[in-house]
Parts: sequence; structure tokens; C-alpha cells
Amino acid sequence: MSLIYRVNMTDLSVRAESPPAEYAERGGRALTSALLAAEVPPTCHPLAAENKLVIAPGILTGTGAPCSGRLSVGAKSPLTGGIKESNSGGMGALALSALGIQAVVLEGKPRDDTWYRLVVNADGLRIEPADGLAGLGNYDAVARLREEFGEKIVCLGIGPAGEMACAAASVAVTDIEGRPTRHAGRGGMGAVMGSKRVKAMVVDPTGARRPQPADPDRFKAGAKQFQASLNGHPLTSQTLPTYGTNILANVINEAGAYPTRNFRVGQFEGAEAISGERQHDVILKRGGKIEHACHRGCTIRCSRIYHDQNGQFVTKGPEYETIWAHGADCGIDDLDAIAQMDRMDDDLGLDTIEIGATLAVAMEAGVIPFGDAQAALGLLREVQRRTPLGRLVASGAAVLGKAYGVVRIPTVKGQAMPAYDPRAIKGIGVTYATSTMGADHTAGYAVTANVLGVGGRVDPLCPEGQVDLSRNLQIATAAVDAMGLCLFVAFAVLDDEHALPAICQMVSGVHGREFTGDDFLALGKATLAHERRFNAAAGFTAADDRLPGFFHQEPLPPHDAVFDVPDAELDQVFNFVR
Amino acid sequence: MPRIRVNLYASLRRYGGGSPTVEMDIAPGTTVGQLLDELRIPSGETRILFVNHRAAAPDHTLTGGERVAVFPAIGGG
Repeated sequence: MSLIYRVNMTDLSVRAESPPAEYAERGGRALTSALLAAEVPPTCHPLAAENKLVIAPGILTGTGAPCSGRLSVGAKSPLTGGIKESNSGGMGALALSALGIQAVVLEGKPRDDTWYRLVVNADGLRIEPADGLAGLGNYDAVARLREEFGEKIVCLGIGPAGEMACAAASVAVTDIEGRPTRHAGRGGMGAVMGSKRVKAMVVDPTGARRPQPADPDRFKAGAKQFQASLNGHPLTSQTLPTYGTNILANVINEAGAYPTRNFRVGQFEGAEAISGERQHDVILKRGGKIEHACHRGCTIRCSRIYHDQNGQFVTKGPEYETIWAHGADCGIDDLDAIAQMDRMDDDLGLDTIEIGATLAVAMEAGVIPFGDAQAALGLLREVQRRTPLGRLVASGAAVLGKAYGVVRIPTVKGQAMPAYDPRAIKGIGVTYATSTMGADHTAGYAVTANVLGVGGRVDPLCPEGQVDLSRNLQIATAAVDAMGLCLFVAFAVLDDEHALPAICQMVSGVHGREFTGDDFLALGKATLAHERRFNAAAGFTAADDRLPGFFHQEPLPPHDAVFDVPDAELDQVFNFVR
Repeated sequence: MPRIRVNLYASLRRYGGGSPTVEMDIAPGTTVGQLLDELRIPSGETRILFVNHRAAAPDHTLTGGERVAVFPAIGGG
């Protein structure tokens, strides 16, 4: 049986309800976005009591489906002012689904300044004062909770950035080792959790019985085929496990699309020093770990464990986006310094993409020099000390850039762009411009056909074909996010005709009724329609589906390209939403 | 003979004798595919080819002085 827990932080009450019919077969992003669209006033202040934080495992999470442990965290975003689904790895989704929980919805906010924690186990969900936890970084908070509740728990929590309700604050999720290394990073979900005065949620799956598929044979047949598809693709079976996500650094740099020094040029002279190949060698030399899974049941294992020169644990990964944001975008080519920043971001509870981009904008503003890793670490310590400058950093690139009068601010809808310059990879530019999430590469990862030769080929430097590419990927991605599947399964789905039918067969097995490829696409479209309508009601117009002016005006070396997909075409991305 | 610089990435670096970059002399009119044959890189192991930072196909003809980059299947993000 599935449960939705309604946690009312105004009167500190908890209600467990069976999902109403409209949510019954939804999960992940399809559930968070449908619920927010139905229940949150689009014009509300994101930190007000009316906003809700929805935490939901995917439809396939907990069933034993390969790579299905992703968690969706949704709310109206304090960063973008629109609807948000922020997606995280780690053990959170599996622990919640093991307890039969379809979603936890945090509503209201306390009238006083007390901090609370939520404790979820086989007996239910209770709200308790978070004595002694407030003020702690994620690492210390998790250590204290594991001491009290044991090592089998999974923690979701916020760091100092979330306590300050800063717009780049993340929700941390513990990994297999119980470390707070995985984050629902994008869009300030940690600020919303902080506004409701919830410091942490402890999930103890002990004694839980995993929900069983309605048609186990059908589910198993789908899962077997799906695993075969993942095993058969060189990306999901070889490159990602061996080198991790940062293997992208050299190829994006070679394509002239690796944003460097706050998006001034498309190639970084220090790319090799922070590349996936170099990271692989450093990790193995120091006794770290490659082929690490961020959650149980992940067979791709693209995570890593990164040690310092003395062989001591520093952080996970770091991932491609993080290394780029704190590396090339800041003109920094020191992998150890980047790993230190990743560790600080995780501890403070910050989105690594937003923060790296913010550091680069601070460099653009002259607050600190480009290339100065120690000064960048110093700005993160400002966040730790909760100074006014630290609060600006933790509020993201758009806010800091505005405060310092910067023109070159690479954001859309207030959210910083990830590690692909939209002038040299125009398909991802269409996704940045039009996504309901703000600039988000995962919303429609057109890098596949533009650069990687996955799912066909579309010339990255030509405007033609990019809108159709982005639209199709945005629809499919919304459905993948509903499943709780890791987005990296898309590499196999795009190249192997057996992979999508296998996903549909697994869902058919879970629900005990036919779920087709058409249903998959319809779910993606319905999710995007909820999000578009929410954003329109929140005040977004076509003018918000645009890139900042400098992407149209400043040619990007080495291709001297500008972003030239016509506005009229951008306005056709969501032509299926009425 | 014109000289070509070939950059090898990820698992393909083993075809460069441990070095990420190989400099080669080529006959004019050599294609990228022939260059890869000379380096003994099986065609099934390459997925992404660049010549001077632009995507290229194996039948792309080289004239000398170009920068060639060769990748296996790559992804992440």
C-alpha cells in the first residue's frame, strides 16, 4: 500500500493518506509537479507557508528495477520563482519507497523559531525538536543522527545555507556509506525546507517490506531486458563506470563548448589537468574508488570516492558539472582545490553548479581574481560565517551579479547555466532557454545528438533541428524523472530500441495493467503541461524563455558562434501545451 | 610529408603508447579513417571524431596541419 504523508509544520500535525486517484500511479517528478500545480498558489512567496515541499521516489523506485533510486524534490523555487523538480541520487528514494511511502509533503511553517526534525520508520512519521542540530554542517549533523539512530538510517537535510533560506541551498541525501554527498541541488529546495524549519529527515527502513509488483513475472522480464540494454551500451557499461561523469571535460573542450572564465571562451587551457582521465589516475593512485554506486541497485556506478594526497577521504566524485563550475568557469585547474570546494558545498548544503557559476560571476565582478582557488575557498568560508557577502554567494549567480552590477550573468529564469556553452551546442541552448526549470542541462540533454553521437546527430553549430531535438528530449526526460530512473539510462534508451519497451514492461508489471510507449510520452507531456501552466500563472511569459543578451552578441571562440535559434522557434518548444 | 597531431582520449589512450597525443606524418589525401587504421584503433571503439574542433566522419580527407581528436562512446553530465 502506498502512503502520502502530509506534514503540517504550522500545527505540527501529521496525516497519512492513501493517494487520491489522480496521484495513484504517479511518482517522482510527475507527482511533485502535479501536486504543486494543484495545491500551491503560483504567485505565493516561495518561503511562505503556502508553498509546499514534496519529496517523492519514482514509480519504479524500490521495485528492484536497475538504476531506479532517484528522488524528486519539488516546490515553488526561491531561485527561479517557478515550479521546480530537483533530482537526487543517494539512498533517500529507496528508503522511503521501502516504507511504502509515495511522497512526504511538508506544508505550512511554524510560528516560532524552533528547528525540527522528522523521523520516519515502519511505525509512521513523527515531528520532533531538532535539539543540537541547528547550525551544524551536513557532515556533522549526519554523524550525530547516525550516532543516535544507528547506521542503517538515511538522512535528508539542510546545511547552514538552507537554514539561512538562501536560494542556492540544497537538500542533502546520504549515500550508501551514509555520507551527505548526494544533493537535490538545483533551485533552492534547501531554502524551502529551511523556511519550514525542518533541519533533517531521518528515514529508518528497518522492518519495512518492499512493495511487490502487481504482476511480478512481467516486471522481471522487463527488468532483465532493461539490464541487458544497459550492459550492452558502451557508455553505461564501460566509459561511465571507468571514468565517471567528468570524462565529458575533454570532449566538450574539444568541441569548443567548455565555458571558461564565466563564459568568455569555449576552451580552457587547463582542461587536461581537471579532466576525467586525470581524475581517474589520481583516484586510483591515492587509494580512492572508481565504479562507485550512489545508491543500491545502480549498475552504472559512475560515482567515485576522492582522496587527498594522504589517502584520506575528501568527497565523492567530484562530478563533471562541479569540476567545470569550480574549475574552468573560474579559470582554476587544481583538482584538489576543486574537491575541497565540492566538500564545502556539500557540507554547507549548496548547489555545486549554482555556486561555481556564482564564484565565476564574483570573479567577473572583481571581488576575487579568476584562477585564484584559495580566494574562491575564502568566499565559501564567508557562507560558513554567515556574513552578508556569504549570503550573496549562497543566493546564486543572478543575485550576486546584480549586486555587483555585472552584465555577463549566465542564467535563465534566475538559474545558472551548467557546463555547456549554448553558442557552441545550440540544442542545449534551446533547453536552457525554454525549460520550465530555468537553465538546466538535465531537462533535455541535447548534448547527446549535438556532440556525443547518441540518438542520432544534429550539427551543434546550426540552429536547424534544435527545437525538435530539445522538445523530444524534454518530454522523454520528464517521463524518466517520473520513473525514478537515473537519467543516464537515456544513453541506452536513445540507442537501443529494446530499452524503452523494457521500461514500459516494468511499469506494466508494477501497475498490473498495460503501460505503452505512448503512455510514457503522455506522462512526460502531462508533467510538462502542469509545469508550464504553473509558471504562466506565476507570471512567466515568452520573454522568460530567452538566453541573456550576450549569448546573441558576443561570438564565442574558437567557433566565433552566437546563439541564433530564432525566438519564434523557441516559442514552439511547448506547442503541445494548450 | 604533412604532419598531423592526433589527440586520443579515455580508453583510446592505450593506442598512443601511453601518451595522449601522437604526432604522425601522413600522405596528402589520407582520411581520418586511414589514420585510425594506422594507429590500429578498431573502428568499433571510436564514436566521436573531431578535426579542428568540428565533428568529422571517417572519410574526412586531411591535408596536413590539422588537429584530430578521437573519442570512444562518451557521456555524463
